[in-house]
Amino acid sequence: MSTSTAAQAPSVSRRTSTPMAASTVSMRWNWFLLALTAVVGALLPFILTPAELSVAMRVIIFALMGIGWNMMSGFGGMFSFGHAAYFGIGAYTTAFLLLDVGMSPWLGMIVGMAVATAAAVGISYLALRYKVKGAYYALSTFAFAEMLRLFVMGNDGLHRTLGFTVPVLQGDNWGMFQFSADSPNYFWIGTGFLLVALIVSMVFLRSRAGRFTIATRDDEMAAAAIGIPVLRHKLTVTAISAAITAAAGTLYLQFYMFVDPEIAFGHAVSNNAIITAVLGGVGMLWGPLVGAIIVAPLSDLVAALLRNPPEWLALLSGQSGLDIVIYAVILIACVLVLPKGIVGTIVTRSRK
Amino acid sequence: MKKEEGTVKAATKLILVPTVAASLLALVGCQGSAALGGDHPDDTAKEVVIGSLHPLSGANAADGQQMSFAAQMAVDEINEAGGIESLDGAPLRIESVDTKSEPETAQSEATRLIQEGASALIGSFESGPSANISSVSERNEVPFVMDVAALDSILQQGYKYSFRIQPSGSMMGESSAEYLDQMTKDSGEDVTKVGVLYEQGNYGTAVEKAFANRIEELGMEVPSAISYDPASSDLSTQVQQAVAGGVDVLAVTGYYRDSLLISQAISSIAPEVKAVYGVANGGFDQTQFIDDAPNGGAGYLNANYRLDVTDDRARALSARFDKGFGAPMRASAALSYDAVNVIAEAVEEAASADPQMIRDAISHSDYEPVVVNDGRIDFDETGQNSHAAVSVLQVKDGAIRTVFPNDLAETVYTFPAPPTSAQN
Repeated sequence: MSTSTAAQAPSVSRRTSTPMAASTVSMRWNWFLLALTAVVGALLPFILTPAELSVAMRVIIFALMGIGWNMMSGFGGMFSFGHAAYFGIGAYTTAFLLLDVGMSPWLGMIVGMAVATAAAVGISYLALRYKVKGAYYALSTFAFAEMLRLFVMGNDGLHRTLGFTVPVLQGDNWGMFQFSADSPNYFWIGTGFLLVALIVSMVFLRSRAGRFTIATRDDEMAAAAIGIPVLRHKLTVTAISAAITAAAGTLYLQFYMFVDPEIAFGHAVSNNAIITAVLGGVGMLWGPLVGAIIVAPLSDLVAALLRNPPEWLALLSGQSGLDIVIYAVILIACVLVLPKGIVGTIVTRSRK
Repeated sequence: MKKEEGTVKAATKLILVPTVAASLLALVGCQGSAALGGDHPDDTAKEVVIGSLHPLSGANAADGQQMSFAAQMAVDEINEAGGIESLDGAPLRIESVDTKSEPETAQSEATRLIQEGASALIGSFESGPSANISSVSERNEVPFVMDVAALDSILQQGYKYSFRIQPSGSMMGESSAEYLDQMTKDSGEDVTKVGVLYEQGNYGTAVEKAFANRIEELGMEVPSAISYDPASSDLSTQVQQAVAGGVDVLAVTGYYRDSLLISQAISSIAPEVKAVYGVANGGFDQTQFIDDAPNGGAGYLNANYRLDVTDDRARALSARFDKGFGAPMRASAALSYDAVNVIAEAVEEAASADPQMIRDAISHSDYEPVVVNDGRIDFDETGQNSHAAVSVLQVKDGAIRTVFPNDLAETVYTFPAPPTSAQN
């Protein structure tokens, strides 16, 4: 199998030579955008107040979840409805190791990523081995997340439905991944995670494995026919996706300091990952970040607007739940008007 | 080839522009929201702000809106009576926000309230959001008085700035067991087996554990403890499991809707039990339950926190609330009313809007609450009101009455009170 891959490989890369050259240019832009993200991330804590920074943290966590989901579903072509599973594994592994073993959350995060990767590869292997496809595959991922949620809810060692509370330490403690409430460190670390996740995505997509993955997504049968080991590449992209999502789980835990089965494995988590990526653009490197910048602060912005509404909106003040309605309207509008997501639509338009 | 590069360049430029625009927009938006906030600690002498965090939308909005209204009522009363005397009549102000039942929202809103100058916080009905607000208030050194939040572990973190008026989940479970024991003994009935049904969330789990342990310590048996998902649409199987093999009393811990389903299942299964006993049950003591439950829920017992109906002040408050809000006052709203008053008294004593000074005054609060309490409020070193108490209620003659302990009772309890007696 592997020898035939090697033999076929040159012809594949020759065929894709034009996009390769084009992507060298877009690569330059990607690095530029990455640098911009880093600069903005580094400066934001100086501009924002602590409360706004906690909203900005939500943007980062959403973006990481979106990037994770996008890897597997956008680039890998396997629609996942159960990314809560990997997010939850990341958060719960870290919490369990921190509280019951006393392990630093940094190490806990690594272990969580490893466990999530193993779980993702295991499930995907079974699903792909038995050719569970399309909607059925999506349902199997959903079922797995639900299964984990119910398992945790019934497991005494994981505190059942009570969840884990991270003990508050005084002052900044890098070793234990904990800082004072208004510390910018959380945001900087989050930005660091985000940059790493973006770089991993970029490097992966540019690598041979990444190209094979996309070829597999676009036409699995053709890819298999020219000798691409379809299963291996699908599992690889799933593993990367799970690891990124698990890291988001640890970041969530350390910032919010509380996690329970609903927060970690609930449907809302999977939905957030999907909505973020779909709104920004499925299969677009920058899609999830753009999606997160819009989705994560939306409810806060609407709530802030309605707290002291301008005159023409005065009749809406004091109405609770309105932000959810507006959120829904924006989502519906986006799906109708921008079916390829924001980044996807812009790229398509500019190509015409 | 060159042309291709050009379009790609244009394309990426087009990605860049909205990304930057969007991030700037987010920035501007955030700045806007801060500017709207206004008040900063410097002018707190003129006004003392209390942040109120409750679920104003979503599944628990009915309680959250009552609680928010009660908090506002408490503040209005204090301001009408002349505000905070020791601060030259400075008024209190409630900043009421929606937690949406989400811990993340609770956290960002609590942070915002503190940053905008709140001197203290109250909240939040649910344990998840409350746990997050606790950690925010601890790290910002601003006192947080929990009106409703049963999860024991919130106050087991060594927090100095968190207080709870409501009895904790384990306190409610234990008292419920003790009251059941006393009531059955007083009425000369022999109760040896207690079946337990509880919702599987953290509230049900915490209460059930303490209840079942205490029941066994008191020499009774718990042959079956069955948990259920409160979102289920039918609970007959679980009721059957809980009463299988014969139990004398069926104890139920749950929310409104699921407790109603249980009462319906009990009505159709008609188990031979001497009573159905709610343990911190959120359904059996709602006026709505009498309308919805089979047979008017007659005879159902429930041990829970409650407005002290033997107290004139509490009765007058309940009447005012009913008039203002348009629905009967729930015990949760009474607890919010108490939480605001605890803070107001502390501000009065501290003669300051400084959160740390208020925290110190709260820690030795001597307020007399409108909810059933063992005397005045007394926060122990963890922040738990150690005098928090439950009373037992029973549905009698189409109304919910406090029946135990005897010194708080409106009327005598009926035991045994089989749930199907009227039909037989």
